[in-house]
Amino acid sequence: MYGGSGVQGKRDMAMEYEAQIPVLRPSIHSRRANMMVKFQDLYEFTVEGNVDDVNVLNEVREKVRHQGKVWWALEADKGANWYLESFVPSTLLKSSLKFSTLVNAITLKKLIRKGIPPNLRPKVWFSLSGAAKKKSTVPDSYYNDLISAVEHKVTPATKQIDHDLPRTFPGHPWLDTPEGHASLRRVLVGYSFRDSDVGYCQGLNYVAALLLVVMKTEEEAFWMLAVLLENVLVSDCYTTNLSGCHVEQRVFKDLLTKKCPRIAAHLGALEFDVSLVCTEWFLCLFSKSLPSETTLRVWDVLFYEGAKVLFSVALAIFKMNEEELLVTHHVGDVINVIQRSTHYLFDPDELLTVAFEKIGFMITTNISKQRKKQEPAVMAALDQRIRRLNSLNDDEKS
Amino acid sequence: MASSANKNINAKLVLLGDVGAGKSSLVLRFVKGQFVEFQESTIGAAFFSQTVAVNDATVKFEIWDTAGQERYHSLAPMYYRGAAAAIIVYDITNQASFDRAKKWVQELQAQGNPNMVMALAGNKADMLDGRAVAPEDAQTYAQENGLFFLETSAKTAANVNEIFYEIAKRLPRLQQTPNPSGMVLVDRPTERANSASCCS
Ligand SMILES: Nc1nc2c(ncn2[C@@H]2O[C@H](COP(=O)(O)OP(=O)(O)O)[C@@H](O)[C@H]2O)c(=O)[nH]1
Ligand SMILES: [Mg+2]
Repeated sequence: MYGGSGVQGKRDMAMEYEAQIPVLRPSIHSRRANMMVKFQDLYEFTVEGNVDDVNVLNEVREKVRHQGKVWWALEADKGANWYLESFVPSTLLKSSLKFSTLVNAITLKKLIRKGIPPNLRPKVWFSLSGAAKKKSTVPDSYYNDLISAVEHKVTPATKQIDHDLPRTFPGHPWLDTPEGHASLRRVLVGYSFRDSDVGYCQGLNYVAALLLVVMKTEEEAFWMLAVLLENVLVSDCYTTNLSGCHVEQRVFKDLLTKKCPRIAAHLGALEFDVSLVCTEWFLCLFSKSLPSETTLRVWDVLFYEGAKVLFSVALAIFKMNEEELLVTHHVGDVINVIQRSTHYLFDPDELLTVAFEKIGFMITTNISKQRKKQEPAVMAALDQRIRRLNSLNDDEKS
Repeated sequence: MASSANKNINAKLVLLGDVGAGKSSLVLRFVKGQFVEFQESTIGAAFFSQTVAVNDATVKFEIWDTAGQERYHSLAPMYYRGAAAAIIVYDITNQASFDRAKKWVQELQAQGNPNMVMALAGNKADMLDGRAVAPEDAQTYAQENGLFFLETSAKTAANVNEIFYEIAKRLPRLQQTPNPSGMVLVDRPTERANSASCCS
């Protein structure tokens, strides 16, 4: 769709693309009164904010436009699809790589942290996440065959999906239409048959919906969901008991204690369990908490650098609110600080700068070690709960 | 000083129950006075707070509205840990949701805070035509298990404020507070929350 055209074509594309990112202009009246204004973001989600928020968004859009130019210039310089060859699989020995490939890989990592231009996003995500590769291992007709094979089946998963369709980003001009519902349904139902251990887990509706909005084509959204659950995230995040999610929560608590000790100590004193706010972040990948344009900036990095990104971003949200959090007295105040901050976090760079520059390194192997360490404890706790509940039922029977 | 501090209580409250029983609708009715057919689905749990005045004290409820799909139940302990109160919700038109409510009661009795105030809410009381659970059965069950029982409707607002007020009144910390002014508000328990809800 985007490839194949000459430099001139690209320039047209860049121009056309700029036209798609309008400057928001709240009325004089609302500016004077500093009223809350409602507007649609780049992905047509309705957002509410005051005039300052609108100004921030306009600055962000200016940066998006600038990044767009940077990406186009790189294509002109290094050739179309240069970034597709710059992906350095972790299994490859670095020394066996050409120097130029390494340079490109470093450029790409920086570039992605600054944001993939919205109109390149589908193509870049699809390649760099590994979704394209996953798709290429099965016959071309896989998705259509899957969808027609399961079309009329009714399972607990399909019932839950049908229940959740109208409750997934209600009010979105495309998602909340019969066409949007049908599309989201096919992706979720299709996936529930692809992996019967996951089936359908609430939360995936938001993730798949946002993937659909970005990828535009349903089949690509499906493969993005597949690569996300099967390769990018830790396993068992969404299966019975959400055990993978429990593991991530424990790893995150340790990280918070290490990286933000004052916050961790204060919240500990309030008996505030950070999982109360983080669970939704990790299961919906921030899509329910952050403005969509900010969420997608997180996903840009997530698909390239992996699941540890979720930790960095979660830590950053706490870190950015450190001073305010330290003066809270009640659980409710903590939640309010966090929710207000995430809801109006219109500047992705503010968040990502803290996440990647202020928090300090997180080495993937360390995180993996921490996960391994927590697994037995999580399994034991989950097991114990089930056993206790079962013994209650036995008592009832006897 | 101490006594005035005593009069402002923060109380953690958790709602548990089957998917679709109406937990979120009850909370929305209580906190915002609204009823919406399609709300965003809840992931994990959603937090709300609402303050009620009982006698001469105020109780600030920190409310956790949990999400119901079976696999999410593994998260429930985090929400009911340390809770002062729980509302276990079932749908009066759905027998299975009543059975599920009993399971929650058992879990709370075994794992929860022993002083927890527990309420059983038979919701969707406006749908009398579809009734599947007799109020007598629920009342008997509640009595045997030390809960108090009300049939509620998030749609019409019937008994919604009442159930939260009744919980507030029963909180042990509130009962320990010397309470010279007696039960002034008890006769008209909905007075205060009506400021936040629409009339019905
Ligand atoms: N008629 C009626 N419908 C209700 C009532 N409470 C909830 N509902 C509906 O039941 C469905 C499930 O409600 P919800 O609050 O989402 O349930 P939850 O899963 O327990 O949070 C929604 O469609 C509500 O509109 C009620 O009191 N009366
Ligand atoms: Mg709910």
